[in-house]
Amino acid sequence: MGSDAVLGFFVRFGAVTVLVMMASLVFVLFRGSLDSMKTFGPKFLVSSTWRPNDLEVTKRTSDGKIVRDADGDPVMETIPAKFGALPAIYGTAVSSIVALTLAVPLSLGAALFLIRIAPRLRPRLPNGWRVPIDMWISFLIEFLAAIPSIAYGMWGLFVLVPYMQSHLEPGLNWIFGHVPGLGFMHADALTGRDMLTGSLVLAIMIVPIITAVSRDVLRAVPQAQIEGSLALGATWWQSCFEMLRYSRSGLFGAVMLGLARAAGETMAISMVIGNIPNIKATPFAAAQTMSSLLANEVSEASTKLHTSSLLQVALILLLMSLAFNIVARKLIVGKGGGVRG
Amino acid sequence: MSLTAISKRKNTKARIISGFMYSLCVIFTGFILSLLLWVVGYLIKIGWQSVTVAFFTQVQIPYGAEGYPGGMLNGLLGTLVLVGMAAVVGIPIGMLAGIFLSEYGANSKLSSPVRFVADVLAGVPSIVVGILGYELLVVPIGNYNGWAGALTLAFIMVPIVARTTEEMLRLVPHSYREASIALGATKARTILRVVVPSAAGSLITGVMLALARVAGETAPLLFTALGSRLLTVNPNQPFPSLTKQIYDYATGPYEAQKRMAWAGILVLISLIFVFNLSVRLIARSKHGTA
Repeated sequence: MGSDAVLGFFVRFGAVTVLVMMASLVFVLFRGSLDSMKTFGPKFLVSSTWRPNDLEVTKRTSDGKIVRDADGDPVMETIPAKFGALPAIYGTAVSSIVALTLAVPLSLGAALFLIRIAPRLRPRLPNGWRVPIDMWISFLIEFLAAIPSIAYGMWGLFVLVPYMQSHLEPGLNWIFGHVPGLGFMHADALTGRDMLTGSLVLAIMIVPIITAVSRDVLRAVPQAQIEGSLALGATWWQSCFEMLRYSRSGLFGAVMLGLARAAGETMAISMVIGNIPNIKATPFAAAQTMSSLLANEVSEASTKLHTSSLLQVALILLLMSLAFNIVARKLIVGKGGGVRG
Repeated sequence: MSLTAISKRKNTKARIISGFMYSLCVIFTGFILSLLLWVVGYLIKIGWQSVTVAFFTQVQIPYGAEGYPGGMLNGLLGTLVLVGMAAVVGIPIGMLAGIFLSEYGANSKLSSPVRFVADVLAGVPSIVVGILGYELLVVPIGNYNGWAGALTLAFIMVPIVARTTEEMLRLVPHSYREASIALGATKARTILRVVVPSAAGSLITGVMLALARVAGETAPLLFTALGSRLLTVNPNQPFPSLTKQIYDYATGPYEAQKRMAWAGILVLISLIFVFNLSVRLIARSKHGTA
């Protein structure tokens, strides 16, 4: 009986620790961002000024004239530091949405391939063994989902950025400059480190996870559902469409997981996005996401208000990812996949 | 015969769409695989060209000093120690929570919130966890330190270990537990002597995956362990790590250090490949014998 009580105590301790971890995460970030919340209020979310230091400027009258004191020297005034998270929120939203738009069709196509096509592609070797191509591809995709973000970041910085700058972006920019109606996306200078490159790296990174989870979701479709539709004369695609429709909530969950990952992704995107708080229509302008802002500034924050504002950005990021993950979890009802990484 | 002919004629359009979508799926898969193989192939190729013996045997030597650029021994050792410290804290807590979910969950009100929170916690961006470490362990102490880095990594491990432990223990047949109880064993004895040992192989692979995951983390270390160019194992001071060193080298100005960074990426990827492959193989041998 004694050992039962001891183990019972310890496992409950482990379980409660998980709850405490979550609570402390929310509590610490909330407490830390109180300063910023008090100073800026809801304006924090819609202001696009991010100026960590006080600014000394010459005082001007309302009509723009410089105010001078008795000696004729300009009077200086201090504009206090100001923080607004809009560019970072905008950057996270746009880069994640562009990445999803690119990644979701590709991932769903690959998931369908893995479930409906690949299992039949098992060529027989001369000695009678079958080559399980679908298992190899599955393994590869899972491996790619496990590669650390810093590796994708290095590839992005040293391969994709130069390629974008010298090949893809000049072409796109020419199109934007010459096709009427697209002019607003035209940029004067191309650096390769911009919103478009950031979104592409994100897309490459979330393809494996969306593919893997959708594959597990599609695998859970009852075989009878597929056979039934085929027996009724459906074509291959019609039965696939039936599968997609049948498991639509699970697939949406897979997409939400991809979105959560894209929104929280830090290292890779901060290496390629340029890290300037811009809100611009052209995809060729450097931008910033909430995570890249945090990665760049937390260790350099010198004032309390700066740290507090960064903590509020972290809190927003946390709440966003909690929302995405909760929705994803509610939708992926079947077994398998689950919330991994 | 005539029926099929009729249905075929009627469904020409549907069949063309179907053929189109079929080839689209094949093309998409091919595109994804070639893109990802391009990325990984490039990382492996450049990494292989850059890796040297000095990478594993020497510590970082700054630009201009004799022996520049040295190696990444400090980062390698740092990551090893950080992950080890994280494992000592994170694995027991995660496993206990996992055992709770699997073995005590059925008749406890605690189980569904814990499972839910563990799942959601596993999806929290690691940089946010890093900020928690910064607020709790760096700001009060006053300097960047290894404890903060290790505990942040432990935080990331706990939900992963908890959920894999639960899943693995659920795969243990119920008859094992019943047999053990029927022989007069207590619940604790049943869990510790029967259930956990029979899932040991898969538990180890789950733990290995969690270790591989945190070994590759960079974001949570940026403002906890910070990194160091010294070969140190003193957790009261800024602590070196492979990933942070790769990041510094990659974003820094020196060519020789960039080559070191590529070699570091190769080491990381190889580690993760081996872990994933062994997990696959163990999972398959389980299916084979069951």
